Amino acid sequence: MKHVVLVGDMKVARKGDILVTHALGSCLGLMVYDPVIQVGGLLHAMLPLSKINPKKAEENPYMFVNTGVPELFKAIYAIGGEKSRLIVKAAGCGTPLGNNEMFRIGERNYTVLKKLLWKNNVLLKSEDVGGTASRTVHFDISSGQVIVSTSGMREL
Amino acid sequence: MPLDHIKIMQEVRSFPTMTGTATKLLSMIDDPNTDVAKIEEVLRLDPGLTANILKLTNSAYFGLPCTVGSVRQAIVLLGLKRLTQLILASCVNAIIDKPVPGYDLSPGELWRHSIAVSIAAEDLVRELRLPEMPEIFTAALLHDLGKIVLGGYVKDELQAIDDKTSEDVSFVQAERMVLGTDHAEIGAMILTSWSFPSEIVEAVRWHHMPDEYEKKTILIDVVHLANVLCLMIGIGVGREGLLYVPSPEVTRRLGLKTTHLEVVASRTLEWVNDFTERFGSN
Repeated sequence: MKHVVLVGDMKVARKGDILVTHALGSCLGLMVYDPVIQVGGLLHAMLPLSKINPKKAEENPYMFVNTGVPELFKAIYAIGGEKSRLIVKAAGCGTPLGNNEMFRIGERNYTVLKKLLWKNNVLLKSEDVGGTASRTVHFDISSGQVIVSTSGMREL
Repeated sequence: MPLDHIKIMQEVRSFPTMTGTATKLLSMIDDPNTDVAKIEEVLRLDPGLTANILKLTNSAYFGLPCTVGSVRQAIVLLGLKRLTQLILASCVNAIIDKPVPGYDLSPGELWRHSIAVSIAAEDLVRELRLPEMPEIFTAALLHDLGKIVLGGYVKDELQAIDDKTSEDVSFVQAERMVLGTDHAEIGAMILTSWSFPSEIVEAVRWHHMPDEYEKKTILIDVVHLANVLCLMIGIGVGREGLLYVPSPEVTRRLGLKTTHLEVVASRTLEWVNDFTERFGSN
């Protein structure tokens, strides 16, 4: 079954499912997969740090990278995923044209993700991040395949 | 492309106007002698519009303490300015709630984007402690109206437009290079033909290039920033992605910091979802 993950949301799924998320601009799309038991999860987080709106983060941790990423891993562990087997991929984190310092939310999302992963000894297997593209992600939980499409398509 | 340009202008001239009820109501609200009973009377004849106004009135964005069930109550609690905005929103919904070719927006996405920019713009005004601007909701709501006309032409010339874009050339600049006009200018032309106040027309015209207009207005600046922010968080971002330039000059002028943008983004998303879900439900 196909499940759509909206902005500021996260879903986990099993073999036979496809997780899809649309319109990744500066938001982070994070895909985590356990190939042995064929389960996976997708997070579509909007902003880097929950401290700018802690109340919102309490209601919806998936809005922020620093609260959403741990929740995604927890959800994968809860359905049997094991850290040593996990394959992690990232997409999104785009930035508009020009050099406007205030609009680098995408880059900040990516930095917070990398710090979190580094602290927890998790590596990104692959990524399609940055630039001005609006990305759509198709994550096939049977195979673990992640397809990122913009105007064209490419496999991560 | 002179031929395209002629065709585009013909389309602008034949673009739908607002419904009779809406036009009547808006001029009534502008008239200081109109009383609320007269407005109610006109609305009674248009149950669709009344239902839409009540749905929007009850959205979480306005944060009313109770559910509003009548137009009179809505006017008392929100005021006539808001009523004007909601009448417009309802009419604009009928025009923009469809797929937009060229920018590849799915049905409802331009409507969602328009509402999002209105909400984010009002929230930026509060967050930056700028003077209140009652026109900002409407200016933001209508900023991309031109995409409805231009979309088909953008689709036909997509390759040429794509080829022009680069690190230094935004999508809207590329539109202008290839088509001789851009969606912001087309939007401004439509609103001029609808007899909208010039400050709203200019906010729509310059929403991508506020630095090129000789007059600097906070209205244009805020619509400009709110638009880029909503595209970044994926609300109404088309196939052209983030090929737009947020002006550093505007950022400096308003004293904008990343935290302002992030706080506004964190609030906007849920307000928009609630607003558009209500509208979609019957």
